[in-house]
Amino acid sequence: MVHLFVFCCIVLPFLAGAVVRILRRNDLRRILVPITVAAMAAAAIGLGVAGPFRLEVRHLAGIPADAVLTLLETALPLCILLIGWRAGSRLVMGLTALQLAGIAHLHRTGPEIAPPAAIAADGLSLLMTIIVCVVGGLITIYAMGYMDVHESRHRPPVSRKPRFFATVLCFLGAMNGLVLFDDLRWVFLFWEATTLCSYLLIAHDDTPEARSNALCALWMNVLGGLAFVSAMLFLRQSLGTLSAEEVLRRVCAMDVRTTATLLPFAFLCLAAFTKSAQVPFESWLCGAMVAPTPVSALLHSATMVKAGTYLLLRMAPAFAGTTMSTIVALFGAFTFVGACLLAVGQQDAKRLLAYSTIANLGLIIACVGINTTASATAATVIIVYHSVSKGLLFACVGSIEQRIGSRDIEDMRGLRAVMPRTATIAAIGILTMLLPPFGMLTGKWLAIEAIARATQAMPPILGFVALGSALTVLFWTRWAGAFIRSPELRERPSPGPQRPTVLFALKALCGLALVFSLLAPVVLERFIVPAVTEAYARYGQVAALPAIPGTGLAWIYGLSAILAAAAWMARKAARNVPDRAHCPPYACGAAVESGKEAGFRGPMDAFVPTRLANCYLRRHFDEAWLTRAMDTISTAFLVVLVGGLL
Amino acid sequence: MTLPIIGTLACLVLAAFTGGLLGGIDRRLTARLQSRQGPPILQPFLDVAKLLGKTPSVTNAWIVPCAILTLASTAVALAILLRGGDLLLILFVLAAGAVFQTAGALCVPSPYSHLGAHRELLLMLVHEPILILVFTGIAMCTGSFSVADVFREQAPLLPRMPLCFLALGYALTIRLRKSPFDFAASPHAHQELVRGLLTEYAGPYLALLEIAHWLETVLLLGVCALLWHTSLLGMAMLALGSFLAEILLDNATARLTWQWMVRRMSPLAVMGLALVNLLWLYVA
Repeated sequence: MVHLFVFCCIVLPFLAGAVVRILRRNDLRRILVPITVAAMAAAAIGLGVAGPFRLEVRHLAGIPADAVLTLLETALPLCILLIGWRAGSRLVMGLTALQLAGIAHLHRTGPEIAPPAAIAADGLSLLMTIIVCVVGGLITIYAMGYMDVHESRHRPPVSRKPRFFATVLCFLGAMNGLVLFDDLRWVFLFWEATTLCSYLLIAHDDTPEARSNALCALWMNVLGGLAFVSAMLFLRQSLGTLSAEEVLRRVCAMDVRTTATLLPFAFLCLAAFTKSAQVPFESWLCGAMVAPTPVSALLHSATMVKAGTYLLLRMAPAFAGTTMSTIVALFGAFTFVGACLLAVGQQDAKRLLAYSTIANLGLIIACVGINTTASATAATVIIVYHSVSKGLLFACVGSIEQRIGSRDIEDMRGLRAVMPRTATIAAIGILTMLLPPFGMLTGKWLAIEAIARATQAMPPILGFVALGSALTVLFWTRWAGAFIRSPELRERPSPGPQRPTVLFALKALCGLALVFSLLAPVVLERFIVPAVTEAYARYGQVAALPAIPGTGLAWIYGLSAILAAAAWMARKAARNVPDRAHCPPYACGAAVESGKEAGFRGPMDAFVPTRLANCYLRRHFDEAWLTRAMDTISTAFLVVLVGGLL
Repeated sequence: MTLPIIGTLACLVLAAFTGGLLGGIDRRLTARLQSRQGPPILQPFLDVAKLLGKTPSVTNAWIVPCAILTLASTAVALAILLRGGDLLLILFVLAAGAVFQTAGALCVPSPYSHLGAHRELLLMLVHEPILILVFTGIAMCTGSFSVADVFREQAPLLPRMPLCFLALGYALTIRLRKSPFDFAASPHAHQELVRGLLTEYAGPYLALLEIAHWLETVLLLGVCALLWHTSLLGMAMLALGSFLAEILLDNATARLTWQWMVRRMSPLAVMGLALVNLLWLYVA
């Protein structure tokens, strides 16, 4: 059974992608894509129910797995090299050539000790698989409706939808492979596959801007890939194995960790930072906004950026308790506060979401750097719940942009009058990002608890996180308050036309964001805590700390019940407000109403409508200046991270 | 099961009463400091009773749930404190109340309430990190974020966290809407914006927010009192002392503007103060 599930998660999307790409038929795609996605989600949940497992793959369709790996490992960089050559980017070509040389060297030296192509899934990778398949799957379904509208607007000479959906499916498959495989060479293969897929997706619209931004994403991620190859070379040299489990066991068995043993992990951190778009590399993720919105939703929620944090989380026990770990934590906390500062000045909803993603990834990395059971638990909780809420918010912004033609928060003012369903869902999405008892807040809470118990550099990390967390409240509330502007007592807008797939995906994601938070204790108990405690206990690095705060997580139910009751009462009270209670907004006695607009009596008795705008504090949160300052400081962090070891 | 719930509810009612009484004392004292007679001590209760009796008048229906949820969140936060729960959870639930209140003010097309809401958000930006730092200081002394664990500690916390206490006072000034940080919802006319955030909340809904404010006052003074938990007298002295100091500060700094405070980088300086205290606890 497990074989079948794994096949559905990793191989099936590639096969379905190939069929969609080659046959190019609309009706076939409309059936095949949902079926594939449903099969993947079912398989992922099946794997999750079955629990941790090990699987050794010796043959793939009769061919030795090693040969397949060698073939793909060479073909993939060659493919990227070709793209670099076509785009005339020497940077991409050079980096890929170096990667190829590294891979060739990896093959030349020494025999492989670890069994090839071992899949070893623990609670963490299972949870990631479920997130990738369910959230990623829902976004794929959302994309079906979205891309129809997108193509009807842009009208490319040949429909690019087959290519798009093929890439998306491959992306999901690669992500599943990345989280399930234990052998680092396979992990690297899928790592590069996500790089390639993200390039193809960002460049999807084929405008000059899309091409240049995609190329930027490509070179940064290929740089990360090069760091990954270097890490593998070093690991092979110092430990003689490339199995993640074996690497961790051997490193943790050492009493003293020297530069030689830590260096590969520093390189893995670099690889993770590029993939997770941490500050000096954040520009690729912001540039990726040119792509159709489902792409952003995928990149930001279930796939791509989470790959980096997953790798870090996996490898963290190896450098627990070292100075390097502390630097990683400081770097993450700095990114958190820096990206939050950048988000405050954003008026563009997509950029705001992008910076908020970078910030949350920074928080995850800070937790990983603290490197205790408690902090790893916090990191995993944030990864999971961020995926759901962020996927939902991007999907909402995509629909809003298609309707009102803008993603400016100021243009979304009073959106509920135009798109009542989407506006409500978006507001719920925002609330799940910042209010108790939802998952993101649980994660933040666990993170602060873990940071307070950190043994190294606790005060600065805490200071950064405290400041960043207050900044998130500022920009989320400001946005949530903008959806309603009605001067009427009750507006009864009728929902406009919406594609059924889009509406289904939005509703499903919204339900998931609400209900999944209630499952937090179960998710923690079944997946996260066993995986995390086992990882840290098995590698014997850090004394097991209580991973859940002393008060337990039962509060989620109590608090949810009280707040749900209050919300229900509030709703009832709002309905019971009599119509005669309505009055125009206060305007110092000069208020007049003209139809549906609020305003006041101006000079010459003329009606002046009230114009409102949020304050974005651009003077204090200037994007260009902040980006420059942060890039400088974070580059210094990276130099210290790697240079400190030498 | 039912007994603790009834007990907590009774405590909440008592807390609201105390909060109102403190409000009355505040108004009377402030008046005396300004050589005025001042209202009777029970005036806040009369005000709220009058507001509750008014016919509701709202710009749009969204104000109503926001007011109710603000009160509910604040009450829950205080209940968590009374039940000896987690300090961080108290902070988050309290922040939820502030978020609802601000969101309600943003939902109406009123320039005054909008301006007030944005100012309130900026104030939240300042007091939230301070509270997180102070709570972490408490956790570093007692070993956990639980309020119940504070009372298991033998020695009072204040001598170990004096700078954190100062920072807490700064946050208290903001939350009690005292000068110079009363620019979001000031009840007095010395700011150019009076009652900004609360402009559109009227009648019974304003009364709900007023009660929420009483509860919040009690909650924050309770947190101040935690720093001298070993004796009841110490707790009362610390809470009342902080409250009186706030009133004095409010009257002494009426000409101080928040722009001046921001220019002098005072929020960052206070966070730095709290951090220094944490560093000290951390090294010790």
